[in-house]
Amino acid sequence: MKNVIEIKDLNKSFGDVKAVNGLSFRVKEGELFAFLGVNGAGKSTTINIISGQLAKDSGSVFVGGNDMDVSPDAIKSELGVVFQSSVLDKSLSVRDNLETRAALYGIYGDEFKKRLDELAQMLSFSDLLKRTVGKLSGGQRRRIDIARALIHRPKILILDEPTTGLDPQTRNILWNVINDLRKNEDMTVFLTTHYMEEAADADYVVILNSGRLVAEGTPLELKNKYSGDYVTVYGIDENTAKNMNVPYEKIRDGYRLSVPNTEKATELIVRFPTVFKDYEITKGKMDDVFLAVTGKKLGGGNEQ
Amino acid sequence: MNSLSVLIKRNTKLFFRDKGMFLTSLITPGILLLLYSTFLGNVYKNSFISSMPEGITLSDEILNGVVGGQLLSSILAVSCVTVAVSCNMLMVQDRANGSLNDLMMTPVKRSTLALGYYFATLISTLIICFAAVALGLAYIAFSGWYMSLGDVLWLCLDVLLLVMFGTALSSVINFFLSTQGQIAAVGTIVSSCYGFICGAYMPISQFSPGLQKAVSLLPGTYGTALVRTHSLRGVFGEMERIGVPEKVLDEMETAVDSNLYFFGSKVSVGAMFGVLSATVAVLVGAYVLLNIICKKKNK
Repeated sequence: MKNVIEIKDLNKSFGDVKAVNGLSFRVKEGELFAFLGVNGAGKSTTINIISGQLAKDSGSVFVGGNDMDVSPDAIKSELGVVFQSSVLDKSLSVRDNLETRAALYGIYGDEFKKRLDELAQMLSFSDLLKRTVGKLSGGQRRRIDIARALIHRPKILILDEPTTGLDPQTRNILWNVINDLRKNEDMTVFLTTHYMEEAADADYVVILNSGRLVAEGTPLELKNKYSGDYVTVYGIDENTAKNMNVPYEKIRDGYRLSVPNTEKATELIVRFPTVFKDYEITKGKMDDVFLAVTGKKLGGGNEQ
Repeated sequence: MNSLSVLIKRNTKLFFRDKGMFLTSLITPGILLLLYSTFLGNVYKNSFISSMPEGITLSDEILNGVVGGQLLSSILAVSCVTVAVSCNMLMVQDRANGSLNDLMMTPVKRSTLALGYYFATLISTLIICFAAVALGLAYIAFSGWYMSLGDVLWLCLDVLLLVMFGTALSSVINFFLSTQGQIAAVGTIVSSCYGFICGAYMPISQFSPGLQKAVSLLPGTYGTALVRTHSLRGVFGEMERIGVPEKVLDEMETAVDSNLYFFGSKVSVGAMFGVLSATVAVLVGAYVLLNIICKKKNK
C-alpha cells in the first residue's frame, strides 16, 4: 500500500504556544487511520494544515503525492472533510446546500442529480432533501455533513470527531457507511475521535500530546507495548489470587490478575495449573494505552 | 453555471432567508420614515414657508414635492450604504460559523469567494434600494410630482453608484471582522452614525462650519448630494417657473444640500460623480488587495 498522506517535521505555533511540534507520520491508502489526543493536543491544527485551511510554519505535507506548497487545489479535490460541528447553511435546504457545494467542485446538472441520488440512498436522506438544514436533528444533520464531504468522490475522508454527541443508532449507521466506503471505494479514512472503541478498530493509530507524536502503531502493537494483559480467573478466593504474586482486583465472580504480556500470562498458568480451571485472557484496552502514553484519560470530551 | 454565479445565488438566497439580517437592513429606512412622519416633514415644510420672500406663495403640492423629495433622497442616501453593510454581514457570519472554512475546502479561488460576496451584496442591496425608489416615487407622485424622466434615470444611476460605494466600503470593513459581537457592533454604529454624517438625518448645511468641512472630505456626502439634486431638481425647476427669485432658490438648494461646497468652492454634479466613482474604484481595489495579501499570508 502506498502512502496517501505524508507529514514530515511539521511545525505550527500560535504566539508562544507550539500547537504542532515536529510532527511526522504517514497514512497508507485505504486504511482507517486514527489520530488521537486530548483537546489542544494539535489534532485540529494538523487537520487544518492538511486541508489547506491553515499555513504551516515549517515542514512538508504531501497528500496523494501532491505537495501542499505546490498544488494545494489538487489536494483539496482529493479530500472530503467532516468538521466537528456542522458548517452547512442552516437556512437553506439540504438539496440547495449540496447543490452549491457540488457546483464548487464543477459538478452540475445530471451529474449532480446522479451523485445526489447515490448519496441519498447510501445515507438514507431522500426524505430530507427539501428540509432546511437548521430544522434537522443532530443525527440527520451529521448524515448530510458526510454527504457534503463525499459529494465530489474524494479519495481521503477526514472525520473530525464525527460521532460525538450522536445516539448509538446513528453512530452505527455512520460507521456502516464508512466501512462500506472503505470496502467498495478503497477510501482512506482519517479519523479523530474521543471514543476509544472506534480507535480500536483502526488500522493504524497515532497519539499526540502537546503537539508531539508520543506513540504510533497498530492497535495490537500499542496494546502490547503500552498496556498489559488481564487474566480473569473465576471461582477462586482472595488467598489463591494473593499467592500468585501479581497485582489483582476483585470482580463479581472471581479475580482479575494483571500481567505485563501474554507470555507472562502463560507462565502463570503453567506455574499454577490447578487454579486455572475457568479463566480468560484479555488484552488491555486503547484507554489503557492512551492513559499510559499521555497520562490523561480520553473520552466523550471529558478529558482529565 | 460557474462557481461565481453559484456563490452569488447562495449568498443572495441566504440574505433574504435570514430574517435577522434582512430586518436589520431595514432599520435605518424605518428610522427615517418615522422621523419624517412624526416631525421632520412638518419642520421642513414650515421652514420652507418661512424662508419664502413676501409676495411668493407656494402651493401645498410644491411644498409636499420638496418634502417628499427630501424624504426619498434621505432614505436612499442612507439605505444604499446601511443596507449594503447588513447584506455584507454574511461574509462575517460565514467566517464566524465555519461555513467559510467549508467553502475554502473546495478548489474555488479565494478571489471568487470574495467576488461572490461583493456581487451578492450588490444584488440584494439593489433589490431593496430600487424597491425603496419605487415606493418613494409612488409617494412623490401622490404628494407632488415634478420630476422628469431624466431626473428618475439620473436618480437610478445615483442609487447604483451609491450601492456600489456601500458594498465596496462594507467589503473592506467586514474583511477585518470575524465574530458575531463585531457584526452587531459595526451594524449598530453604521446604522446610527452614517445617517448623520452623510446628511440624511439633518442637512449638512445646518452643521457647524468645521463639521461641514470635515464631512466634505467623506465621499458618501457626495452621494447624498447627488440623490438630493436629482430628487429635487424638478420641484426647484417648478419654483423657478412660478417666479421664485434665483437667489432664494440657490439658498434653498444650499439649505437642502443640493448645492455642496468643498472648502468654499461649489462642487459640480460631474465632480460628485467623479468623487464617488473614484472612491468605488479605490475601495474595490483595496478589497482585492486585502484578499491577495491574506492569500499570500496563508500560503
